[in-house]
Amino acid sequence: MLSTIFTADFFAAILRATTPILFATLAAAIAAKSGIINMALEGMMLFAALFGVIFSSLTQSWAGGLLITMALGGLLGLILAFFVLNLKTDEILAAIAINLVATGGTVLLMLAFSGDRGTSISIQSVPAPKLDIPFLQDVPVLGSLLCGHNVMTYLALIAVVVVHIFLYKTPLGLKIRAVGENKNAAESVGISSRRIQYIALILSGILVAMGGFFMSGGYMSMFTKDMAAGRGYIALAASSMGANTPIGGFLVAVLFGIAQAFANVMQLSTIPYELIQMVPYLTTLIGLGIYSYSRMKKRQKAGGK
Amino acid sequence: MKKVIALLLALMLMLGLVACGGGEETTEPEGGEGGESTAEPYKAALLLNGTLGDKSFYDSANEGLTRLRDELGADVFDFKVEQMGGTTADEPKWEPTLLDYCDSGEYDVIIMGTWQMAAPLAKAAAEYPDQKFMFFDEAFDFAGNGNPSNIYNILYKQNEDSYLVGAAAAMMTTDETLEKVNPDDAVIGFLGGMDNAVINDFLLGYIQGAKDTNPDIKIAIGWVGDFVNSATGKDIAMAQYQNGVDVGYNVAGNAGLGQIEAAKEMDKYAFGVDSDQAALLPDFADWIPTSALKNVGNSLYAAIKEDMAGTLAYGTTVTYGFAEGGVALVKDAHYEEMVPENIRTTLEELEQKIVNGEITVMTSSNMTTEEIDEIKASVALQ
Repeated sequence: MLSTIFTADFFAAILRATTPILFATLAAAIAAKSGIINMALEGMMLFAALFGVIFSSLTQSWAGGLLITMALGGLLGLILAFFVLNLKTDEILAAIAINLVATGGTVLLMLAFSGDRGTSISIQSVPAPKLDIPFLQDVPVLGSLLCGHNVMTYLALIAVVVVHIFLYKTPLGLKIRAVGENKNAAESVGISSRRIQYIALILSGILVAMGGFFMSGGYMSMFTKDMAAGRGYIALAASSMGANTPIGGFLVAVLFGIAQAFANVMQLSTIPYELIQMVPYLTTLIGLGIYSYSRMKKRQKAGGK
Repeated sequence: MKKVIALLLALMLMLGLVACGGGEETTEPEGGEGGESTAEPYKAALLLNGTLGDKSFYDSANEGLTRLRDELGADVFDFKVEQMGGTTADEPKWEPTLLDYCDSGEYDVIIMGTWQMAAPLAKAAAEYPDQKFMFFDEAFDFAGNGNPSNIYNILYKQNEDSYLVGAAAAMMTTDETLEKVNPDDAVIGFLGGMDNAVINDFLLGYIQGAKDTNPDIKIAIGWVGDFVNSATGKDIAMAQYQNGVDVGYNVAGNAGLGQIEAAKEMDKYAFGVDSDQAALLPDFADWIPTSALKNVGNSLYAAIKEDMAGTLAYGTTVTYGFAEGGVALVKDAHYEEMVPENIRTTLEELEQKIVNGEITVMTSSNMTTEEIDEIKASVALQ
């Protein structure tokens, strides 16, 4: 089994499994920093997966499809924000509603566009391409590791940096964090918490839409019913384990991707698959345990000084 | 005074009920026993807890009944399809719809399928003992429901066509004329949705078919864990293909589409399941040699014909295999193009042997989990 793990194929599998969760994790982080738990990530990702297929087909370009999908993702974020902030709906209930609507709504939309219910195979969509970086791809080992991944994977990695800078180095990011930390304090210095939370949820929708786009236009090349398959919820957990920071969320998402890829390869062995299925979750738990233990040690050290 | 009125009203209601019931009773025998030429046609109702257009199961049922009507004429056999919808939101109306149909008394037989309809059916069958039902693709628990004698239960021998797929896969993976395979090692793959009785029935047939063909065959068995996670299905299949698997078989619903995508990406083979996936997925047809079909339409066609002749054994479970046309491999021009002739000839012989009983295919229905695990372990990779 070791021979299959230290390969470029395995590395690629990790990145594939990580990408959609990473986008959703960043989406969860921005929303959480503004003080709202975006549990609708799952439904938004599912919608975006279908939008990606439909609009990349209509525009006959993956970039066109991606941009429209992101816009519609932002719209979904806006809708959630409207329910939560204007109509004062419970944020969890509104999210559950969106997730339920997504399951049936995507099938309905797919039926309208393609006449099919199970898959979008008859829609001629344009998946995001794989990227070969000139010069780098000729470098031995490094080239095969770092090249040939989906464009969306690179975008996800870039997004980690962008979201980090946005949250910690820009005025708007500061406002988002301020609102999330203490709404009243933020209001007292003239920040409209509603406006800030609107912005945060729209950004959250845009980010998770990128993850959804990758699901049907990169990971797979078609939309299949319920294909988000819990990734939105996993991302929510990943973000929370990463203390709702982009870097922390990134680390947990990668850890989860590694565990998932490892579980897939482990299925080739005779280990019972019920055990294997636990691996991604078990790994995340252990990772979390180590993380909080080290934090505790640090705090004790700091306290001792 | 009030009491008298109440009593009178109750009496009137009862009379009304008796009158209605009597009316139905007098008309029913006319329809049922009247001469063939003058009588009402044999009428069937097909209740789908889903919709037509699934290009698989339900379309197949509809096709079988349509074929029968075209053949016999609408004055001899007619049917109505009721699409109840398959989402959780539709679920509350399944049972009332079924009871409405029973209540109408218009139909000689009411047909439905899948495990989700088992409970409503059990209720309807008890409430309407004179109504006949057909129930496909899920075992009906006769003993647990007071042995109703008005249900005809149809199951499919998915293990039999999976046997042929296993044999085909084992032959193809070592075939030197095929470009997409590495003939040096005999490794094939299987992607299942969930580790349950039906999927294991597919798997056991697949294993037996492969082992009978090549005793040294190794099979990478992967499980998605559900029937929707196509992306994870793809990743598991990719891992299989990257580790020597040349030919796979997907039995994982929509998640199985992941294996077909992986086959295209890795330029390997993936067998289709339940419906003709090569025809359904034209962009992927070059990687799908053929598909194992579950032919609901054929089984209904045969059962209704038998019922019209008055010989159908209601109250029993009948399993439709190759011999009864309940399962089949797609054998069209595409299949002939993809699968070398010597393999096709062997498959034809194997099918004959299954039909005439020379080969008995294992089934999960009479095996324990330990026995099944042992068989899986006997073909494991490592």
